[in-house]
Amino acid sequence: FFTAHAKEKSYSPPEKTTQTRCRSPEKETFTCWWEPGSDGGLPTTYALYYRKENSETVYECPDYHTAGENSCFFNKNDTSIWVNYNISVVATNALGRAFSDPVDIDVVYIVEPNPPEKLTVVVMEDKGWPFLLVSWEPPHKADTRSGWITLIYELRVRLEEEEDDWEMHHAGQQKMFNIFSLRSGGEYLVEVRCKPDHGFWSEWSSTSYVKVPDYFHREKSMWIL
Amino acid sequence: VCLVAVCSSVPISDLLDRASQGSDKLHALSTIISQDLNSHFPPIGQEIMPRPSMCHTSSLQTPSDKQQTLQVSESDLLSLARSLLQAWSDPLLVLSASANTLHHPDQTSISNQIQELQLHSKSLGDGLDILSGKMGPAAQTISLLPFSGGNDIGQDRISQLINFNFLLSCFRRDSHKIDSFLKVLRCRATKAQPQMC
Repeated sequence: FFTAHAKEKSYSPPEKTTQTRCRSPEKETFTCWWEPGSDGGLPTTYALYYRKENSETVYECPDYHTAGENSCFFNKNDTSIWVNYNISVVATNALGRAFSDPVDIDVVYIVEPNPPEKLTVVVMEDKGWPFLLVSWEPPHKADTRSGWITLIYELRVRLEEEEDDWEMHHAGQQKMFNIFSLRSGGEYLVEVRCKPDHGFWSEWSSTSYVKVPDYFHREKSMWIL
Repeated sequence: VCLVAVCSSVPISDLLDRASQGSDKLHALSTIISQDLNSHFPPIGQEIMPRPSMCHTSSLQTPSDKQQTLQVSESDLLSLARSLLQAWSDPLLVLSASANTLHHPDQTSISNQIQELQLHSKSLGDGLDILSGKMGPAAQTISLLPFSGGNDIGQDRISQLINFNFLLSCFRRDSHKIDSFLKVLRCRATKAQPQMC
């Protein structure tokens, strides 16, 4: 074993990386991330290797850059579905190397879309009563038009002052939703998220704020009219 | 049996909508059973479980990404879905029979869910038969994928669990394929109402 006495610091081979996890936002590409272990005090490099079901060939990660540090991105050409990928990350430094525990993934089982986009909330009025017309678009990466991915949506709404008191609404496959029974003069926060037909909920979208007008006054004025 | 009234009056898009609801349910159900099964599955089982290439349906050439899938004609997509579904009529019987003697804490619920799987699979098969009748001769082609696994899935409890889980994992992948093909078909058929997709 090589030990540097000068600083009384000992060097060692790297620890294996942990928590290899993978996600596909649209059933067409995917990314895997890992947590590095100790680097043993030495410059350490990380390499991801994978083998596809029915093949003996081992490939190295095609793209370490697109998805940031400690990640590997598989573009459309590198992504097959209904095929298991056996994935391992190897940490290497001057003193040795360590293999992560391998993971087996099929891209169709790791789909988690990006949040819905272009969320808009407008106050509308029906017979003097206001309601919120909420509309949004699917995440632009998800190809819902061809039927390649089917998304359902869920909304949550709360009054500005009532933190953690979200009211949930299921919108199904619709891309708009009306919310009734509003508090006069209330300021509301609205968010939306989506889930593919088989997969995981996206994160919540960015928040949309809207203020409901003081509608008793309005109603009165309409009454007078 | 195809009733003339039914076959002639219901538009293809409606039939495809119903069919893809059925295939969606089928895949979701197989996922639930898999999760139940895996909650008490011997760790060694994952390692010695047969590879997916050993599935009896793995010889069927199917598309392996979106681009390939979208290039397949409507009748070929339906034919792939029907071939896969039909290939499971015998092995589902085996799963159903062996679920009764499975050594697993959730045996009763797994067994009931397999029954449900069989019912859904049967009614989806009937629906796809009607659809293929409407879509013309090319959609009626079926690739035969015989199941040679036999009626017995194993003597001891460990190999029984492993083989059961393996068969179910094959079904899970195939039901996902069927569902994906039908949903693409559904969107092609509802071009007149693009808000559906």
